[in-house]
Amino acid sequence: MRTALFVLLALLSIPGAGSGEDVTVFAAASLSDALEEIARGYEQASGNKVVLNVGATSDLARQIQAGAAADLFFSADRAQMDVLEKTGLVRGADRVELLSNVLVVVVPAAAPTRVGSPADLASLRRIALADPEAVPAGVYARTYLESIGMWSALRDRVIPTLNVRAALAAVESGNADAGIVYRTDAASSRRVRVAFTVPPESGPKIVYVLAPLATPRRPAALDLARRLGGPEARAVFEKHGFRVLAPR
Amino acid sequence: MLSRDEAQVVFFTLEVAALATILIFPLALAAALALARYRGAGKGALETILSLPLILPPTAVGLLLLEALSRRSLLGSWLAAHGLEIVFTWKAVVLATGVMSFPLLVRSARTAFEEVDPRLVGLARTLGCGRATAFYRVTLPLAWRGVLAGTVLAFARALGEFGATVMVAGNIPGRTRTLALAIFHDNQVGRDDRAVVLAGVTVALAFVALWTTELLSRRLGGRAEE
Amino acid sequence: MIEIRLELPLAGSDLRVEAELPAAVTAVMGPSGAGKTSLLEAIAGLRRRARGRIACSGAVFLDTERGVDVAPEQRRVGYVPQDAGLFPHLTALGNVRFGARGDGGRVETAIDTLDLRPLLARRPASLSGGEKQRVALARALATSPRLLLLDEPLAALDVELKERVLPYLMRIRDEWKVPMLYVTHNVGEALALAGHVLLLRNRRVEAQGRPLDLLSSPGLTGEAEAGIENLLPGRVLAHDATGGVSRVELQGGIPLSVPLAATRPVGAPVMVAIRAEDVLVSSAPVKGLSARNVYEARVEALERTGIDVTLMCALPAAPSPWLARVTPAAVEALGLKAGQPVWLAIKSHSVRLL
Repeated sequence: MRTALFVLLALLSIPGAGSGEDVTVFAAASLSDALEEIARGYEQASGNKVVLNVGATSDLARQIQAGAAADLFFSADRAQMDVLEKTGLVRGADRVELLSNVLVVVVPAAAPTRVGSPADLASLRRIALADPEAVPAGVYARTYLESIGMWSALRDRVIPTLNVRAALAAVESGNADAGIVYRTDAASSRRVRVAFTVPPESGPKIVYVLAPLATPRRPAALDLARRLGGPEARAVFEKHGFRVLAPR
Repeated sequence: MLSRDEAQVVFFTLEVAALATILIFPLALAAALALARYRGAGKGALETILSLPLILPPTAVGLLLLEALSRRSLLGSWLAAHGLEIVFTWKAVVLATGVMSFPLLVRSARTAFEEVDPRLVGLARTLGCGRATAFYRVTLPLAWRGVLAGTVLAFARALGEFGATVMVAGNIPGRTRTLALAIFHDNQVGRDDRAVVLAGVTVALAFVALWTTELLSRRLGGRAEE
Repeated sequence: MIEIRLELPLAGSDLRVEAELPAAVTAVMGPSGAGKTSLLEAIAGLRRRARGRIACSGAVFLDTERGVDVAPEQRRVGYVPQDAGLFPHLTALGNVRFGARGDGGRVETAIDTLDLRPLLARRPASLSGGEKQRVALARALATSPRLLLLDEPLAALDVELKERVLPYLMRIRDEWKVPMLYVTHNVGEALALAGHVLLLRNRRVEAQGRPLDLLSSPGLTGEAEAGIENLLPGRVLAHDATGGVSRVELQGGIPLSVPLAATRPVGAPVMVAIRAEDVLVSSAPVKGLSARNVYEARVEALERTGIDVTLMCALPAAPSPWLARVTPAAVEALGLKAGQPVWLAIKSHSVRLL
């Protein structure tokens, strides 16, 4: 029995195939599916391991400021990246604006709710948004609603969630009548349907920014960052519904 | 010191914790009495189920509650049919805090009841008390200290409940945001300075709660029974 | 009359009791573990697994065949356990009043019977053993019970306290006229109070009958304790200050000299207590002894009680026999046996007035 345990421990302590390193990526929640796919390909090709930490961008930024070890930061808006740049954790020159997205209003797939325009939202009781005070998806949604003068009418019906995927889940379960999420999130779920797409021209400018952290700035991290801008990654992002921005 | 919204959060938290404690009180006492007095098949299983919220991660409990209330479940569909909404309302906060505090009160009350000499209860019966009357006139007065301690503990736990609450009630400002949730939110949006102030309020509340128990216990019990 | 046909499952062997008890005081006796307490609890309704039939003065408490099982609170049976079992969170008054219904009448009478007036405001923790027992008795009485169950009520008290509380029990028997089942190990108490004895052994009834008849049975060997075996009612006749004695007349006209008790008015009723071991036995007429009280008697029975021997001696005029305790060596030396005439000598100092 004891020998078996020792053997098991020995096996577990052997590093994985290839003398790979760990690259830690803090990324916005909406990127989780796409990044997981890209990471798998990257791991096979490079022998490195990708540690993916997804969540609300604002939450992640806070964690990094508090000292969390990350190699790359993939933010869902400029504001959060700005915060890190201001505190010197990220170098301005390293920033790359990679992707864009589109906001949609979703409702539960089985519900007969009709939201043909933003005004119809006023008739709903509960609208799920990622926390409109800090999470990019929620900030975008609020900015949009403010721009069309509907924020004050709707703010009391808002159910703020931890991140955009949580908002999606609230609509999926029927606990919220509708939600405002990214088109990419809506596409990933069969339990919601898109009731209304926020026209990109009238909506806020959604920009995903990628940057390596100033320290440690390891070669493996820079390598992954480059790949994320590369053609294979681009194909994956587009497949999931993101709009890839022209390289600078 | 506190903004209008923050004061609202404090009062809301106190109200919800008090309501949750009041609602679980009779149920918890009944459960504690059952566990203290009856021996028989199924007692072990009952004990375990009632203790679950104590050991499970609060988020797991919150998730279970969410599932139980979802439209797909029996309970959820009944509620929906009657237009009763619980998830994402203050009722969910009361529910989550009540469930999490329940085992604490049951434990304290049960120990207190077990310490009451069962012969005294038997004597009360021979003196004309039915089961319930014997409980009110003998068991409860002799066990009140343990019951009180358990109640304060349950209340304090309710004040600080987070995991289950955030799952099933969300963190909706003005509607379901309790002190614990507010602290979390302030920290999330980078307002640590306010988070610290609110944390200070929770310390003050806990202090008052515990100090009151001490006082009550000494005043009402210590002197009279020397 | 109390009718008992009881079957009660217990750890060890089941309790099976079949008895018909006259509606007065029955002493329930027997070795520890015989089932005495369980019997009382079953009659009180505190043992839900009891089967059979229990009826008291026509009221049926239990009749398994007819599906009758009255809840304890409906039986109106007063139960006084060995350690009083007072409610610690109530005063003496609160305890006494606990089960009383509506009328305060019974409560007041109970308080007076047991002389509890000065104790009413006190809490059980500050009461002595004897005071606690009296409160417990009053508490049971205040509910106007149709039956009193007393589980060794005097066992936890020392001899002096026993002597003080026993008269209260006699008062209850005589003034309240409530039938009692009285568990005791003490032969003296049984003799003083009971008109009937139920003897249990190994969870069964071994014998029942009049106290005197049973006391000659081997069943009580080793169980009886020393105590106030002789309780004799009488009247104060006169006081002799210079002689330092008072004279009392016992029932049957028997004279007794006791230490001077000038505070007792002449003619007042009095209860006299004499320990069996304080009764000297002589096989020849007594002369020149300092003891003032000498009586001619006849040994009715001898009974081994523990390491000693108790003699039941009948005096010509006394309504019930007196008990004397001697060593087996004395029995041997004097050749004591049933039917033998003896002389009993009692120092006035050995007599206590209750």
